[in-house]
Amino acid sequence: MQLPSLVRLAWGYLVLGLGWWCAGSVTVAQAEDNTYPAQVEPLLKKYCYDCHGGGEKEGNLTLDHFTSDAARQQDRALWWKVLKNVRAGVMPPADQPRPSSEELATLTQWIKQDVFRTDPNNPDPGRLVVRRLNRSEYDNTIDDLLGTRFDATILFPPDDSGYGFDNVGDALSFSPLLMEKYLRAAQTIVEQTVPTETWVKPYFEFNGRDFRGANEQTNGGRLPGKKAATVRRTIEIEEPGIYDVNVLVKLHGSFDFDPARYTVVFSIDGQEQTRNEYGWDEAKPQRYQFTPEWASGKHELVFELTPVPMAEGEKLEGVDRGSTDVSFEVNHVRIEGPRGTERRIHPRNYGQFFTREEPPADAAERREYAREILHKFAMRAFRTSVDRPTIDRLVDLAESQYQKSGQTFEKGIAHALIAVLASPRFLFRLEALGASQQDGAFAEVNEIALASRLSYFLWSTMPDDELFRLAEAGELRKQLPQQIKRMLKHDRGNEFVRNFVGQWLRTRDVTQVSIDPIVVLGHQEEYERLREEFRDLRRKPLSRKLSPEDEAVRKRFGEFRAIYDRFNDDMKRSMRRETEMFVEYVVDEDRSLLDLLDSDYTFVNEKLAGLYDIPNVRGGEMRRVKLPDGSPRGGVLTQASMLLVTSNPTRTSPVKRGLFVLDNILGLPSPPAPAGVPDLEESAKRFEGREPSQRELLAAHRDSPLCSSCHARMDPLGFALENFNALGMWREKEHDQAIDASGVLITGEKFQDIRELKKILRERHAAEFYRCVTEKMLTYALGRGLEDTDEHTIDLIVQRLEENDGKFSALLEGVIESAPFQKYRLPVATPTVNTTQEGSSP
Amino acid sequence: MNRHARAHAVSRRRFLRGAGVAVALPLMPSLLRGAEAVKPLTTGATTASGAPLRMAFMSIPNGVQQDHWFPKEDFTLNSTMQPLDGLKSQFQVIGGLDHEHATAGRDGAGDHARAGATFLTGARARKTAGSDIHVGISVDQVAAQKVGRATRFPSLELSADLVRNSGSCDSGYACAYQYNLAWSSATTPVSPEPNPRLVFERLFGSGDRAERGQNFAQRQETERSILDFVLEETGDVQRKLGAHDRRKFDEYLSVVREMEQRLQAAEKFTKLPETTADTPVGIPPDFGEHMAIMYDMLHLAFQTDSTRIGTILLAYDGSNRTFPGIGVPEGHHYLTHNQRNPELNQKVAAIDKYYIACLAKFLEKMAKTEDIDGQSLLHNSMIVYGGAIADGNRHSHDNLPVILAGHAGGAFKPGRFMKATSQPMSNLFVTMLNQMGVETNAFGDSTGRLEGV
Repeated sequence: MQLPSLVRLAWGYLVLGLGWWCAGSVTVAQAEDNTYPAQVEPLLKKYCYDCHGGGEKEGNLTLDHFTSDAARQQDRALWWKVLKNVRAGVMPPADQPRPSSEELATLTQWIKQDVFRTDPNNPDPGRLVVRRLNRSEYDNTIDDLLGTRFDATILFPPDDSGYGFDNVGDALSFSPLLMEKYLRAAQTIVEQTVPTETWVKPYFEFNGRDFRGANEQTNGGRLPGKKAATVRRTIEIEEPGIYDVNVLVKLHGSFDFDPARYTVVFSIDGQEQTRNEYGWDEAKPQRYQFTPEWASGKHELVFELTPVPMAEGEKLEGVDRGSTDVSFEVNHVRIEGPRGTERRIHPRNYGQFFTREEPPADAAERREYAREILHKFAMRAFRTSVDRPTIDRLVDLAESQYQKSGQTFEKGIAHALIAVLASPRFLFRLEALGASQQDGAFAEVNEIALASRLSYFLWSTMPDDELFRLAEAGELRKQLPQQIKRMLKHDRGNEFVRNFVGQWLRTRDVTQVSIDPIVVLGHQEEYERLREEFRDLRRKPLSRKLSPEDEAVRKRFGEFRAIYDRFNDDMKRSMRRETEMFVEYVVDEDRSLLDLLDSDYTFVNEKLAGLYDIPNVRGGEMRRVKLPDGSPRGGVLTQASMLLVTSNPTRTSPVKRGLFVLDNILGLPSPPAPAGVPDLEESAKRFEGREPSQRELLAAHRDSPLCSSCHARMDPLGFALENFNALGMWREKEHDQAIDASGVLITGEKFQDIRELKKILRERHAAEFYRCVTEKMLTYALGRGLEDTDEHTIDLIVQRLEENDGKFSALLEGVIESAPFQKYRLPVATPTVNTTQEGSSP
Repeated sequence: MNRHARAHAVSRRRFLRGAGVAVALPLMPSLLRGAEAVKPLTTGATTASGAPLRMAFMSIPNGVQQDHWFPKEDFTLNSTMQPLDGLKSQFQVIGGLDHEHATAGRDGAGDHARAGATFLTGARARKTAGSDIHVGISVDQVAAQKVGRATRFPSLELSADLVRNSGSCDSGYACAYQYNLAWSSATTPVSPEPNPRLVFERLFGSGDRAERGQNFAQRQETERSILDFVLEETGDVQRKLGAHDRRKFDEYLSVVREMEQRLQAAEKFTKLPETTADTPVGIPPDFGEHMAIMYDMLHLAFQTDSTRIGTILLAYDGSNRTFPGIGVPEGHHYLTHNQRNPELNQKVAAIDKYYIACLAKFLEKMAKTEDIDGQSLLHNSMIVYGGAIADGNRHSHDNLPVILAGHAGGAFKPGRFMKATSQPMSNLFVTMLNQMGVETNAFGDSTGRLEGV
């Protein structure tokens, strides 16, 4: 297969603009078919064949074994690997001569052009990805579609992730269990939101937030069980009589058990109706009914919560470590009446689904009205236009229900809406089916599909009305920059940071990491001993006065409890928020991505500032602070969130930290790993029975050639972070030994500590970092693993970043404007569609 | 333990007691049949006496501390298995089984993901971060697809592990390999359910005890009509997708088909089994309790003959869980790689024993529950407990830790340490499949049957 010469010319043009490493390669680009023998092979001979040619096969890899040009060009995986390693500076090894930037450009270009067959004017966007909504997308979409919060994290099994993200289509599997759950969820959601009658008795309905406390923050939506609070709501009724008051409350607790108890008194007009003691539970519902007789006028409903005092000893037992909690929720209060009234009103949400005052009586008109309602809903739910057969099926479903005796029109509609939510068109993202413009082998996605791609990328939910409107009018592509800005500013923009950064930098995991602060801070033995003594102490009668020794035990034990208290969920949430807010700031202010590598500011509250030794920060509110001179902090590498998620429960792990930096910051390709875990017993013997330091132990790994290829990359990065303990606190020593954070990167640069490393990364490895972030974001935006055909797209975005000082907008716009985001590859025509696959009608 | 924690434990105990003993009549369909006459069923999954034959698999992570695991030749138990001492006649420890496909081979790092994927499949996981996941169908699913129609649920997949790390999983392997034991095809993992309340509601219906039956009937009717619609829609989408990459959608289609078949099959189960047990509240905060209640769910499912095939992912391989309750604040995975240190070594053994203690409680319960033929549920079961890593420090995959509990209705000979000659773990699976009534002479990387179990 030959590329047309036009394409080759275009290559030359493109390469001119590709940045420093492409300088002077114009002649190369225009070379004819002898590129490989004339230009590429000499390079391989010079730099690679010593280990990967002429019979040498270091790492089981050879580059000169091909018997023909075609065979050489067909091994795309091999050349992709070569490209990644050479470009990352991993190959040739640090102590070997390296290709010049011109030579590198020659190789890169040959691989992209002759092996990947990339047309720079019309790059391959990759295949169309069929993606199931993941749990957060499902929740958000339901919320936007129906205005109701559903919690899929409780009901659906966790989504498997691929390539580091849980929105990767190929990894989002489907099982009968999940289908069962989708069916169940659709029924529950519709039952909760869609009215099934036209007229109902007059009623009032309130949720927890409608019950207000003494201050702005306190409301019945969530009342912590350890703090006294009163919330109230006043209603005014016209008709006197007996009213039915139905109260639904829910009892909550943290994931871990908390022994706290509390009492809640519910009263109407100052009269106690019920008093109950509650405790830890998992969203447990409790229902109560009352039938007060009311005169017309104002009436007040009040919930008063009082914690049950706990004996001192119970708190200190260690069950309650401060990271657990209990809470009370006023979920729903419905007041109906008075009994026997003639007045009728529409039920809740009626206007959201039904546009007319009443369904028509005539059967044909009813059907027409059903069609109207279902069409409108299905279009939003499927996020695209809906075919007539689908609407017909929905109308049939509705009709089959409401024609049954005793069933209402609304019930029929509700039934059809369940079907909408169970449809593959709702559960999968299939919007792109139906291209607008075809461009040879590729098609541009239509604007409706583009709206969907944008909204799931930036908001993790369906498009809003404005996006739909623009897309329907064919204006979305024209207004893309304005829309991107609007979307980032929107409240839903938080989802991007929560989900993308949450997985890329693993901030999602911070709150579930279990690190034992007592052990990390070196108090384990004392704590174990004291716990025994304290237990004995508690067996003594409370009335007896404690001896000074006992008093000391009690005091010291209290101090340990304070350590656990300090590292509670609040602290972990602050850690997560630091990283999230840091990225939000870079996004909002359109700062350089390099701030993520090193910066003179970060985000803290009093608790976190204490951990970082930053003075003068008061209160729980997170805010941006300028770092003191000489502070090692700044950039994501020194943020507690990263330091925590890469530690073991009782100590740091330089290997995990090093791997994190390789995978998520520098994007260095994974080297060939050993065929088995080698036995380190031999090397351990040289420590003569004493406990070696982590550094000594890993040095033993690097002595083994089998291990060194990997560990030489990871370890220096991990050791540079050894000044931070498993809780993210600065330390100079471990086990009374001074920490040595110095090292040499696999690319040759030497550094003394993390400050120097960050500087090196920011100044000399910006290109790798740009590439790494680009790859991560592109994966997340496309919902698929990247392929060799994407290399060119990545190059373009990296180039854009370099030309714009790494500004965030350059990355985001680069991703959104890229071919894979805007288009998809048309399938190669296949003879016939397998008809047995279609014979599904019952 | 303070007052409230105690109250909490009491309510839990009450539930467990209810779950264990008091299952109200009418019992399972097979029981009703049994009341007429115990006769062999043609569907498979039965013992010689015609009682249901169950198979279950539980996986433990990170291998075991070898010095404490294997019993003596005469079946004197080692320290790790002490909690099973009273059940010695009901289980056998098998030595000599290997999982060749869990070894690195040419795939390099990622031993935990690979082990998790290989454990019940006997196949090699393709190294991919997600685009072309491929391993092999798992033994439980082979059985479920062949003989699962006998019960309301072909199989039950449970998990006691809630930890899910964001970002990439083990060394370039897609997370699916690590977090799923059961695979309904080489490319389709079957996600396990970690929430006991939801398992219970699947088995016995939702709502108060009185509402359960009615809710169930109503939902079944709704689901049937919705599923018809979904099938037609799926056909439309299928046509539109044409020659686009349809792998994902084909997976979906087969699920919808299976759902349809299951609903049809379920028509013969017009009534839900009843139980006096209360619906569990949710996921217990304590890991031991969580395991216990998932074991209880499996026991309930077996007892009511809601299914005959189950898996429990006790913890995913590579789990770094801490066990502060037994004096182990360090992570499990971290500990297994520091076995030079005798003190840490002891802690690994303590964790192994902790897992075994939970298994023991489950087996005791199974042993105490009477089946329709007068034997115990355990007698009429084949329960495999183990993992695809042998030694968690060196990551070896031969001589795996395997416990086989139950008599398979009298076909197996428990009560001994069976040292097999080195052979694939899959050979055991072939034997078990045959026992279940699946006629096959091969599974995964099997080289034959494991004889003499």
